Amino acid sequence: MGEPAIEVRGLRKSFDKKEAVAGIDLDIEAGSLAGLVGPNGAGKTTSLSMMTGLLRPDAGRIVINGLDVWADPSAAKAVIGVVPAEARLFERLSGEEVLEYAGRLRGLPAAEARSRAAQLLDVLDLTADAKRLVADYSTGMRKKAALGCALIHNPSVLFLDEPLEGVDPISADVIRRLLTRMVGTGSTVLFSSHVMELVEQVCDHVSVIDKGKILASGTTDEVRGGKTLQQAFIDLVGPRSKGEDGLSWLGSSSN
Amino acid sequence: MARLLVELKLRLVRNALRSSTAARVSFLVSTTFAVLVAIGTFWLLAQLRLLSASVDLTTVIFSIFAIGWLIGPIFAFGLDGTLDPATMALYPLRTGPLLVGLLAASAAGAWPLANVLGLLGVTIGLAHGGLGVLFALIAVVLQVLFCIVLARFVITSMARLLRSRRGKDLAVFLVVPVFAIFEFLIQVIPRAAASGGLSPASFAGVDSWMRWLPPGLAAHAIQDASTGHLGDALARLGLLVAVIIVLGVLWVRSLDRALVTTDTSTRSSRVHNAALPLARYGLRGAVAARFLRYQRRDPASFAYWALVVVIMFVCSASTILGPHQHPAVVVASAIFGAAFVGSFHANPVGQTGPAFVFEAMALSGRRELRSYFSGQDIVFAAIAIPLLTGVSFGLAALVRDPREGFVAAAVGLAGLGAALAMSNIFSVALSYPMQKRAGSPMPQQAQGFGGYAFGATFGTLASVAVAVIPVIVLSNLTSSVSAAVRLPVLFGCAAAYGFGLAWLGVRAAAIAAEGKIPELCQVAMRTSL
Repeated sequence: MGEPAIEVRGLRKSFDKKEAVAGIDLDIEAGSLAGLVGPNGAGKTTSLSMMTGLLRPDAGRIVINGLDVWADPSAAKAVIGVVPAEARLFERLSGEEVLEYAGRLRGLPAAEARSRAAQLLDVLDLTADAKRLVADYSTGMRKKAALGCALIHNPSVLFLDEPLEGVDPISADVIRRLLTRMVGTGSTVLFSSHVMELVEQVCDHVSVIDKGKILASGTTDEVRGGKTLQQAFIDLVGPRSKGEDGLSWLGSSSN
Repeated sequence: MARLLVELKLRLVRNALRSSTAARVSFLVSTTFAVLVAIGTFWLLAQLRLLSASVDLTTVIFSIFAIGWLIGPIFAFGLDGTLDPATMALYPLRTGPLLVGLLAASAAGAWPLANVLGLLGVTIGLAHGGLGVLFALIAVVLQVLFCIVLARFVITSMARLLRSRRGKDLAVFLVVPVFAIFEFLIQVIPRAAASGGLSPASFAGVDSWMRWLPPGLAAHAIQDASTGHLGDALARLGLLVAVIIVLGVLWVRSLDRALVTTDTSTRSSRVHNAALPLARYGLRGAVAARFLRYQRRDPASFAYWALVVVIMFVCSASTILGPHQHPAVVVASAIFGAAFVGSFHANPVGQTGPAFVFEAMALSGRRELRSYFSGQDIVFAAIAIPLLTGVSFGLAALVRDPREGFVAAAVGLAGLGAALAMSNIFSVALSYPMQKRAGSPMPQQAQGFGGYAFGATFGTLASVAVAVIPVIVLSNLTSSVSAAVRLPVLFGCAAAYGFGLAWLGVRAAAIAAEGKIPELCQVAMRTSL
């Protein structure tokens, strides 16, 4: 394995005595497109929030490209981009203004921020809506605009929380191609998802998290172990349904 | 259907009560207030018995209740799940039973009951004799029915609009006139009444046109029946019933349309600005550009500025309207205006919401945080300075003492500096999540954070009141000096002092925020606007 771009050791976080993240270790190689998969409430968002400096961990160490996120947050934040789960942007700015603002926040000269914003809007198929307020954007458009904000300073490590949740197939394809292209240039992408097909298709590294613990981590083939990722995932976290015995009335033939 | 919807409404209330202590307290306060309104209205209407203008005043009171029912749903949209016809659109319901059900659900609750009981005061205040009392009972029921049908028609017609961004924006703008009317009623009217400027006789004749409106029809029907004009009374009540039927028919049509119309937002708006301004000024300029855009486009921001103006006018209302002029009150207006500029902007992280996370990614060092706070302050000062100065001079002109306008503007400048400083400090020390609560178009503190909002508001008000003392002292000490010398010196000193305070506030807030960015991010992410 090459130099890890993301190195997590003993990461822990509790909320009101409930342990959301129970000591996870993770190594993501530079140039990887990695997926963090787990059921709802597994600790994906909490973990990503701590890795990106948005949530203070109770314990543990996170190193991004050799920079300790909690010892040197300024330097670490400069090399990362983040797309939060709920892509809540500045509702009263237009798509164009949001991207330009993100660029200027990241220290880009205004002209450069404007130019990159226009290019990103074009690639993300948002040019026609560039002058509309974000408040009027659909979920997919917000996700794409949030991705544009996260990419505008050309981060070497990109974190995305459920990037394709609520996104139509065309927009999803745009996002997928953009992530693949980033990784092709040596950047690292870590995203959380519970869509196994997507992770299986695009990720070269997968970590399965449940109840705040990493159950498996490695290349996608290693984690699958000859099965589909969906089946491997269910085998790891265990089925949650109690059966459908009580629904004898359900279905056309029961009428 | 009627029973089902009434049960649904009661269940929604019960579930809300179980959700939190704050909800229980809120329900208790609301119910207590409803009881007080019922008792107060009954007493007020009963007191009209001996007045010559009793029918005029009854018409006014009936009309006020109708306006309340008209405006209430616009603010309370979402408060009552049965209000929104879209929630029923998925079920195979016929319009007729649904109409009856929605009407019954509207009539259930403490406030409709308080309306009926309160308005029954007319049985003492306006009605005479058995026939009068009988007509009063019918008129009150019809009046409340009219209010309910009117409110339902309005809410059904506006349901799509109120779910859209523009509709919600409109509701935010309505906060300003409603606040102004409220302040007028509780501050200005009592003072006018106390000084003899307002008496029951002032209302004589107002019903020359109001008598033909539905509330006027109800009030006059009672009087006609009490004075033996049975035919007129019946005709008026008949007309009122006709109005209710017409409104009901319009409501049915509107309901039919609403049930089969998709829930879509209104047309989206496009902006014409090519780029964010202040490009040359780095991070500070970027933050200032964002806040500047929000002051123009965010209705809540606009409402805050308008409320500052209302507060300043209300502070000076007694002097402007009263027989005795106290020009120094204009200075108090400036202090309150400046303090509320700070108080309204003392929680920028909560007001920004989850989008703050994007800003937080660029705000790690003390230098960046200074740029963040000063960028905001520049925008607030750029709006507040001309606003506070202009209103101060306007108020001074109204009290016929223009010189007091200079003093007030100078004190306002110092107060603004202190207010911005405290808003920056409180935005770190007492940052709290906000939420759009059902029943209020303006975002408010999330449940459980009332103490934070109270602390930031009164902390800012008290700090500004203390901070302006040196400028007031300087003004008093130099009162005998020629105005040509005194006023420029006073202005210069106040501006420099205010700037110094704001600068200190920026530095203190940046130091405090340096180690708190993750906590501020959590506040932002808990906000739902």
